[in-house]
Amino acid sequence: MAIRSELRKSWIIMIKEFKQIIRKKALIIPLFMFPIIMIIFFGYGMGGTIKNVDILIANDDTGTASSSLVQEIGNFIPKYGEVKMFSVTYTKDISQSEAERKIDAGLYKAVLLIPHDYSELIANNESVTLTLLTDSSDTTSSGIIINFMKQLFATIPGPPILLNIPDLYGKLEYLDFLTPAVIALTVFFGTVQSTGYAIAGERQDGTIVRILMTPISRGAVILGKTIHQLILQLLRAVILIIGATIILGVKMNGSWLLVALVLIIFTFGAVGLGIAISAISEDMTSFQQLSLFFTLPSMFATGVFYPLSSVPDWMRWIAYTMPLTYANDAMRIIMVKGQGLTFIAYDLTILLIFAIFYFALGVYLFRREA
Amino acid sequence: MDPIIEVRDLTRVFISRRAKITAVDGVTFDVNKGEIFGMIGPNGAGKSTTFAILSTLIKPTSGSVKVAGFDVEKDDESIRKIIGVVPQQYSLYSDLTARENLELMGNLYEVPGNVMEERIEYYLKLVHLESHADRFTGRFSGGMKQRLSVISAVIHDPEIIFWDEPTTGLDPQTRQAIWKLARKFNSEGKTLIFTTHYMDEADKLCDRVAIMNTGKLVALDTPENLKNKSNSATLEEVFIHLTGEEIRD
Repeated sequence: MAIRSELRKSWIIMIKEFKQIIRKKALIIPLFMFPIIMIIFFGYGMGGTIKNVDILIANDDTGTASSSLVQEIGNFIPKYGEVKMFSVTYTKDISQSEAERKIDAGLYKAVLLIPHDYSELIANNESVTLTLLTDSSDTTSSGIIINFMKQLFATIPGPPILLNIPDLYGKLEYLDFLTPAVIALTVFFGTVQSTGYAIAGERQDGTIVRILMTPISRGAVILGKTIHQLILQLLRAVILIIGATIILGVKMNGSWLLVALVLIIFTFGAVGLGIAISAISEDMTSFQQLSLFFTLPSMFATGVFYPLSSVPDWMRWIAYTMPLTYANDAMRIIMVKGQGLTFIAYDLTILLIFAIFYFALGVYLFRREA
Repeated sequence: MDPIIEVRDLTRVFISRRAKITAVDGVTFDVNKGEIFGMIGPNGAGKSTTFAILSTLIKPTSGSVKVAGFDVEKDDESIRKIIGVVPQQYSLYSDLTARENLELMGNLYEVPGNVMEERIEYYLKLVHLESHADRFTGRFSGGMKQRLSVISAVIHDPEIIFWDEPTTGLDPQTRQAIWKLARKFNSEGKTLIFTTHYMDEADKLCDRVAIMNTGKLVALDTPENLKNKSNSATLEEVFIHLTGEEIRD
């Protein structure tokens, strides 16, 4: 009887839990949507191939051997894909340094330089060397392109075709690609979560009402919280970068000041998003779930773990609507490529627009709800 | 008498997608300087909304409210400097110590450092929390939190103290201590306005009591006069007589 009674009470508790969860609308969507989102994003992102990647082929040869090679590269469709692997632009007569500048500027993921005597050497059954420059800051895409070219050349009958692959940004590993984006991701998650928790928590405890009853403006409350986050997140980023360079040997080729600039603008936006989410959340549980709903897709869609060149177009468009995409890009340009302000100007502009929008939204909702 | 709060035809309407609720409906009254003024009423009577408007937390829909001569809509910041609010929820930072909580409030009210230190020591002693000054308030009992909450609201020496249900959920000893504290502040010339559900509290403590029902002010007088007018022995009988026996949501 005692067991039956206990089981009955457990049943009552279970029913109560279900009632509560069903009534929290903010919980339902993430609960069932997250696994689907994760499968879709990871499935496409980790597919191990790339699509429509911009490459430049500089063909200085006028013979037929090179033109069939170029055609084969341009028309190649991966085994399980539906679209071409490369979007090829053709040119001739460019120097290696000019080609490097094009990669530096982010115009192409790779440049293949075919020498003027390619067809002649093939005809004479002599080995020939092509130069392949890749954007090695995107280690995944770069690796796939190099492997593809090596496999392609191995299948061509005749004398050996060799590849000269200079390291544009030093010897880079997947960690070098991953770390700058993970830092941006950490800052994004950390800021949204801690700002939101602070506000949602204070609202639940009633402390925010008490503060607002003192002679302080709502703007000053937000500013105080924002400055706190800026200092905290910059400190985290510095510790993470130093830790990654010392422990993991990750490269930090660029300016610390530029990293700070990107993260300050990015953090401003994330603070605004955190405030906005907390303002519309009924309680702490709703905040947790709503914040995950807004932040988790960023983690999978914005190219933190895999390059955007490996995802379908629709997924890339989703990524372009998320600020983390631009923060990842800017962080990689600074930390891996070691490039300056001009190269991150576009990302910074977009981040600034996001920051202004989210911050204004956060302030508006906070004022309204407070 | 010298009014320190003047409320004229105050109305507050809340509009949601589902309904339009008139929480306060054309209320007019004065609170005199130096008095203890109680606001009582059943749930949904409009006392909390009136309280929130007087303490500048929300704006009125229509009518006017002046606190110490300042308009609640135009001079809310000036009002906040001279009022202290003790919310019903203790509203303390649990991961700060008692002293840090007091310093935070003192700093927000721009109390000078040396004055603040003196006041903190004085008030902590007054509410018998001096030995707990450097403990996190998260570990405090309900009574300790309420005492600390009260002194947090007066650290800047306000002229008017708004007190929302000061003794709800407290043991008799703490209730007595809170009443004593209220009388002490009043004897120093401060005006006290509080809401309560305890009729004995309103009877013992208040100079005048306002009874609200469904957003309207239905009676305002001294507890004695209210009892005499309705031939009632207790304020609770007056309250039931004026607001009915129906349970409110």
